[in-house]
Amino acid sequence: MQSHDESQRFRRSNTTAIQLVMWTLAWAASLAAARFGPEFLWDPQDHPVSSWVAVVVNVAVGLGWITAFMRFLRALDDLQRKIMLDALAVTLGVGWVVGFAYFVADAAGLIPYDLNIALFPAFLGVVYLSAFVVGSIRFR
Amino acid sequence: MKNRITELRAQRAWTQADLAQRIGVSRQTINAIETGKFDPSLPVAFRLARLLDLSIEQIFTDEQRSA
Repeated sequence: MQSHDESQRFRRSNTTAIQLVMWTLAWAASLAAARFGPEFLWDPQDHPVSSWVAVVVNVAVGLGWITAFMRFLRALDDLQRKIMLDALAVTLGVGWVVGFAYFVADAAGLIPYDLNIALFPAFLGVVYLSAFVVGSIRFR
Repeated sequence: MKNRITELRAQRAWTQADLAQRIGVSRQTINAIETGKFDPSLPVAFRLARLLDLSIEQIFTDEQRSA
C-alpha cells in the first residue's frame, strides 16, 4: 500500500511536469498570436476586437501557466523543490537588482541606447536556467 | 545532521534508486541526504522510518546535541 502511494506520488510529479510543458507551449503560442497577429493575421485598425481577444487569451493562458507551475512545485520532492526555489530566488534578486540598476542608469543618462524590453524576460530565463543547473550540480 | 541511511540501505541490498522509489523521492534526494548535503523534511523522515521499521532517532543523529 505504501509503495503504491509512493509510486503514485512519483507519477503525479511526472504528470504535473508534462502539464507545465503543455501550458508553457500554449502560453508561448498565445503570446506569439497576440504579438504577431495584428501584423500578419488581421488589420488592427479594422479588427481591434481581434487584438483584444488575443491579449485576453494570452493573459488567461498565462494564469493557467502560473497555476500549473504552482502544482508542479507542490508535486516535486523536497530537494527538487529546494533547487527550484533557490533558482527562483536568484532570478528574482538578479531581475530586481539589474532592473533597478538599469532604470537609474538610464534616468541618469548613462545608457546611450535603448534596450529592447523583450530582452529582459529572456535574460531572466538564462539566469533561472543557470541557477537551476548550478543547484542541480551542487546536490548531485 | 548525520544519518545511517547508507548502512541501513546496504543491509537490505537496496540501491539508492530502490529506496527513492519506495519513499517517493528522487534518487538525487537520497544521495544528497546520505552525503549530508541535504536534511529531509519531517514527512520524508517519517516515511523513511516507517519503511525501515525504525524510529527517526535511530536513523538520524543531531550533531549539535551529540557534540
